[in-house]
Amino acid sequence: MDGEIAQHGGDSDREMTRLWRTWRTVYEMLADRGYEVSDEELQISLNDFRNKYADPMGYPDRTKMKIQARPTEVMKMKYTPLPSKSNPTPQPDCGTIYVDFCPDSSGVGTKQVRAFNHIVDESNFHTGIFVTQTPISPSAVRLLSGVPGRICEHFQEQDLLVNITRHELVPKHVLLSPEEKAKLLERYRLKESQLPRMQVSDPVARYLGLRRGQVVKIIRKSETAGRYASYRWVI
Amino acid sequence: MSTQQRSPEPALKTSLQAAYAAASAEQPSSLPTQEEQDKYLEGRPRATAHHLGIALQHAHQIQAQKDAEEMILDRIIELLALPSSPSADPATPSPQDAQLFKTALYPFRPSDYDSLVTERNNEDLCGYGLCSRKNRKDSYAGGQSFRFKYGAKGSGPGGRGRSMDIVSSDNIEKWCSDQCAERALYIRVQLGEKPVWERRANDTQAKKIQLLEEGRAKSRRPKAESSKAAVRTSHLDGADVTAGMRNLDIQDSERSQELALERGDTSHVHRHGRVGVHIKEKEHGSLSPASAPQPRPEDATGGSIEGYVPQERLDKDSSSPPKMREICLIRSEMDQAIA
Repeated sequence: MDGEIAQHGGDSDREMTRLWRTWRTVYEMLADRGYEVSDEELQISLNDFRNKYADPMGYPDRTKMKIQARPTEVMKMKYTPLPSKSNPTPQPDCGTIYVDFCPDSSGVGTKQVRAFNHIVDESNFHTGIFVTQTPISPSAVRLLSGVPGRICEHFQEQDLLVNITRHELVPKHVLLSPEEKAKLLERYRLKESQLPRMQVSDPVARYLGLRRGQVVKIIRKSETAGRYASYRWVI
Repeated sequence: MSTQQRSPEPALKTSLQAAYAAASAEQPSSLPTQEEQDKYLEGRPRATAHHLGIALQHAHQIQAQKDAEEMILDRIIELLALPSSPSADPATPSPQDAQLFKTALYPFRPSDYDSLVTERNNEDLCGYGLCSRKNRKDSYAGGQSFRFKYGAKGSGPGGRGRSMDIVSSDNIEKWCSDQCAERALYIRVQLGEKPVWERRANDTQAKKIQLLEEGRAKSRRPKAESSKAAVRTSHLDGADVTAGMRNLDIQDSERSQELALERGDTSHVHRHGRVGVHIKEKEHGSLSPASAPQPRPEDATGGSIEGYVPQERLDKDSSSPPKMREICLIRSEMDQAIA
């Protein structure tokens, strides 16, 4: 009997720790994308996390785990398209982000995704991130990407256990603003289609929430040149 | 025409064409306005209205593909609510449910059907669309992903013993019972592999979906059916034939539109299809009776090979004929001398 309880405690502890790591990665991701995130939120300790989000049994209570964040000025600047004749004062194409952890441990389908879509639509969030424990069904994926005018992304908890961009082999990706992109194309006399490319489904692109048509600058270390910058057009 | 007869459908549109018709009825001006067309052509100096038409055609095709995918997604969600009564028996579904189920499945591919099954399982329902029971849960498997499954007595090889299968428990947990599994898979094999936006209007393969029970009932009395059909064909009389022949006329614009639809040529710009159908009788050039070919002078040396006259022969024709004749003369003289 005692052994069973200890086993139980171990289980809940382990799940709590795993979720804490995911939670921290989500905040790092928001910060890297350019949302307003405080330092306390970024560096929450396991104990604080447990006190805040554990249920009486010691298991994480995912229904409490919801995040909202607003974009910073820098991010707004990066997401503002260049003024054109038809649109002289463009508005930034970004807004409040909402992160939701799905409490269901298996069989996440259209029902949960529809509920999530509804929340995003109702509260007028610009972007939504849906985090689940298991993969979601193909029709749910289609449903998630089909919200008109809003961006909904999906991550699995285990994909966010480790922050991939902190790995030493992953170079630094910096999103270029529309002006920077225009300058780059001007300087090298290129069309954007002549740049090297990168998929939207690329893990780093997913992490940064990149959209089709944006350009990232990739800065890697080079033995001969010190630093080497290359550019990728997201398709 | 088959495309026209499918109109009286209650809630669901059976064919993509019907869905198009409904969609275009909702938004009548899917064609760009004259201004927009001019603007498009202005930016492209060498483009003509024909190019614009083709561009629009492709844009419509892509849109149709997206619409079809959305329609399938909507239908998956609709089918989650079946059967309409919680006590429905999957062996004898209510006719409305069965009809709804069958018509809704028309645009599905097997992969779409699989995702319907997954969705139903996520809702704790049996994967077969007309079954109201819960799917099986392997309580005692204990993390094992495979199970032994024994058949009825006498089902083994040679009619002795029991047949045995090793089945992954995922496959078992999809359905409430083996009967439902059979019913569901019977439907799955009838679905067309081709995506619905590539199917032609007369692609009948996926149109007639049968439930397992219907299929069995039909196979039990095929003879009566066929004898009836024979009687029906013998009743065809002359009036029917002439009416049928008149029906073959396609010069009518409405009928050519139907034909274009049947080809899958659904363009908003070219209402009657991109291919103009004009039937022309072949005219005979001359009505003089045929006669046997007459030998012409140039045929003596072999003539031309499909209009080509070999160089050697040309040379001979121009310079050698007298020589040739001399040689022949000499030859004949020699022959006579020998004789």
